[in-house]
Amino acid sequence: MASCAILLALSSCASLQRSSDQGAVKDVAELINAGQVQKLAAMSETPFLVDQEIVSLKADVESFWNGVVKAGFRVQGAALEEAVPADAASYAQFANTFEVKSFFSNYVQKGSRVLRMSTSGGKHILLLVKSDWFSKKLIGFKGPF
Amino acid sequence: MRKATLLAAILLAAAAGAFAVPADVTYADGDTTLKLKSGKTQDVQVGDKMNTGDTLRTGKDGLAELDQGGVTIKINSGTVFTLMEREAGGKTQTVLSMALGSIKYKYGKISGSEPQVRTNGAAAGVRGTEFTVFAGADGSTLFAVDSGQVDVESEGKTVQLTAAQGVEVPLGQPPGEVVPLHSDQIDYSKWNDDKLASMLADPIGSMATIQSVMDEYGKNATDYYNQYLAANEQLQQAVKTQAQILHDKGAEEANKYQMDVYFPLTHQVSRLVLNYRFYSLAALSLRRFIAGRMYVTLKARYLANQDAPEWKDFEAKFDVFLSTFEQSIAPRLVDADI
Repeated sequence: MASCAILLALSSCASLQRSSDQGAVKDVAELINAGQVQKLAAMSETPFLVDQEIVSLKADVESFWNGVVKAGFRVQGAALEEAVPADAASYAQFANTFEVKSFFSNYVQKGSRVLRMSTSGGKHILLLVKSDWFSKKLIGFKGPF
Repeated sequence: MRKATLLAAILLAAAAGAFAVPADVTYADGDTTLKLKSGKTQDVQVGDKMNTGDTLRTGKDGLAELDQGGVTIKINSGTVFTLMEREAGGKTQTVLSMALGSIKYKYGKISGSEPQVRTNGAAAGVRGTEFTVFAGADGSTLFAVDSGQVDVESEGKTVQLTAAQGVEVPLGQPPGEVVPLHSDQIDYSKWNDDKLASMLADPIGSMATIQSVMDEYGKNATDYYNQYLAANEQLQQAVKTQAQILHDKGAEEANKYQMDVYFPLTHQVSRLVLNYRFYSLAALSLRRFIAGRMYVTLKARYLANQDAPEWKDFEAKFDVFLSTFEQSIAPRLVDADI
């Protein structure tokens, strides 16, 4: 009986986590598609990772999102393909460099997630998300690839 | 192991620069953060001390003012400023380094051993009292002297500026023509926008320039690092020799050896560490605030069209640049630098 309850609780937690990850992917895709630069910037924290580049200045993160929207980039058919906790080895998904490795060890806190988003064009985007009870913060973006 | 050796070397260099004058924060407003040498980041408060290796960043609305041994450093918004050290002519020299933005320097008095003022593309020796330095998105630097005299050096050429004169130094090039200029006449935002536009108009040419500066930094960092390894080996040998002298000839001879050989070697090793670290951190600044910003800007621009030949060509050049950095600079850095 007790083991059933534990299994139920675990499955419920996994389901909540899945729902939270899907929500993050949906939010980012919708904000990009709606051209919501300010909201994307507010949702992003510095230092922020773009592929293998560490963006240190808030103004540059805003400028990045502004450029993305201005370039007409849209995410069609966004879906969560995979979500895993960010760990010490996750840096390699972004870039196998000293800086990205240091970025993960210095700035990516426990509980952060690497979300792999698929799009209808067959491409993928990686999102690095830090979440707490009240909010989700984006700390990295890679792709589409 | 590499990390432990590097940390030991950095501590040695820190000991050599123990008498470096820190900068005191006398004013701070808006978004201003201090990234400490340890890697920790904190908001800037009046009364904070900025030590060698620390970096102060101001956001869109950020302003800060520092006092560094009688030099007033007024840091405007959108600026990245690092207090550094290097060895020059056998002496430790403080370097006031700016990666981006604009800073006004005011010297209370001239002692002859003023800190060097540096950007990614130029260095200035100061014999004056008041001047402003503007560092652009493409690595260009603009100097404007309000009073006194400033010698601006880049690529082996030096020009002398006096009051109401200015000069622009493109990245990787010697200083341009000296022109009549006062700092109040310069609209930094417009100047910087122009620099960014011209850089983005020719990404391949801009990357070639950045690559050549990175190659130079990489060469210097590697040369000094190799010299450091050789000197450090001599130092380890000297420790053994001193112990042997103590055993064979007694304390007096051992002390003499320490004064004549061991201490000079220690200083030499410390200075070499300062210099390879200096070039490695200068390279990191170039990589982060010039090349990296260019990559992120172009990445956004071509996100909807990643197969564009312009983007593909740029990516190929950028990969070469990254490879240079990984091979010649990254091994000289530690996690806290990032």
